[in-house]
Amino acid sequence: MKLEVRKSLIVSTFLVLAAVISSSAAFAQEGRERDVRPPALPSITPPEGWKQCPRCQNNDDRRKARVNYKVEGHEFKPQDLSGVWGYDGVGGDRGPTFRTPPPLTEWGKERRQATMGKLNDKGEHVVSKDTSGLGGASRINCDPMGYPRLYTYNYGFEFVQLPDRVLQFFELNHTWRTIWTDGRKLPANPPEPHWMGWNIGHWEGDTFVVESNGFDERSWIDGSEPDGGWPHSDEMRVVERYHRMNYGTLEVQLTVNDPKTYTQPWVTKQSNISLVPGTELWENFCVPSDYDTFTNDVYLPATGVKQ
Amino acid sequence: MTSTRMIRVTAFALVVFTMLAGVVFAHHSRAGYDDKKQITLKGVVKEVAWRNPHVYVIFGVKDDKGNIVQWTGELSSVSTMLAAGMSKDTLKAGDEIVVIGSPAEAGTPQSLVAKLSRADGTLIVADSYRRDTR
Repeated sequence: MKLEVRKSLIVSTFLVLAAVISSSAAFAQEGRERDVRPPALPSITPPEGWKQCPRCQNNDDRRKARVNYKVEGHEFKPQDLSGVWGYDGVGGDRGPTFRTPPPLTEWGKERRQATMGKLNDKGEHVVSKDTSGLGGASRINCDPMGYPRLYTYNYGFEFVQLPDRVLQFFELNHTWRTIWTDGRKLPANPPEPHWMGWNIGHWEGDTFVVESNGFDERSWIDGSEPDGGWPHSDEMRVVERYHRMNYGTLEVQLTVNDPKTYTQPWVTKQSNISLVPGTELWENFCVPSDYDTFTNDVYLPATGVKQ
Repeated sequence: MTSTRMIRVTAFALVVFTMLAGVVFAHHSRAGYDDKKQITLKGVVKEVAWRNPHVYVIFGVKDDKGNIVQWTGELSSVSTMLAAGMSKDTLKAGDEIVVIGSPAEAGTPQSLVAKLSRADGTLIVADSYRRDTR
């Protein structure tokens, strides 16, 4: 009897551990085609001669496109970054790119506190001060996300390389930034703050290095869970390093230097962003009137929150 | 023997719970809906708001007294719906639909749609929040 109980315990423990491991592994891969089940229904086919938008593909489309476009082992030029990259954030939704900040300065703590919204009676975060994200609890007014938040929220971006600049087009919010590569320096005192920063780039070997300053301090570096965001000042400088590892993979690392807000530089982990073949950028605008309608007709009535 | 059976049952329950927990974690939470409850509604489409941030269907449902109550069925973003196999032309006013989803916490006639079908059972959206539609 005792032996049977012991055996049963061992089997049970094994089963539970296996389930925990499989569940955790699936969770850890969020945003990285974790769900390998075939889709229940096929996606909508784009018009003939056109391609899908990065998020209009389902995972089945992505798997097929990687085969059809011969991504595996495809030849590539390390200094050619053209293509559509990513579709579901960098490192999964909202991070972990900017999940763990360095210590905040006193000024930074005040700014951070000012990003926090309101809770309802149950302690749920229902009213956000986020004016530019896509969070359900916010009354979005479509303020620009700014950089580097748009990087973390990536719905797909495309690099277009010209002789004197690199253009980076973003699917989300249908915007772009210009990265000048003609040898100019960053302005010592930018005449106006830019949501996307003032940007210059150069090559260090096969690594494309982008340096930026002159940011509008109303944007957040990223949203934070369950509420608020990571602030920055107008003194923030960002350095990005892009390295095309192979045809289908771009390795990226960001460093945020903002001594007014953080006591140390915020260096992100290296993230891999995948090429998304079979896609092209469409037009994912943040339309203030559409967000207003949604907030008033759907979100606020469902939550019962009065803003 | 009884204790053995108990252990087996407990272990099975734990395994099932753990697997379900994985499924729950995999979904994004949507404020305003009670994701622990599920309701089924049969109704007639009045309008499809094919817009971001989330597409929604406005449809009429007959209540116990025979009155038509206007419901809102929230789906996901336009691109996610295209990935899930639904387009702006999939539904038109007058179509009869069956909606399975979570009710609004405020008790308003609103549902976060998990599954959307035609009255004849034809599937329109299997799961608007399933990650593989992204």
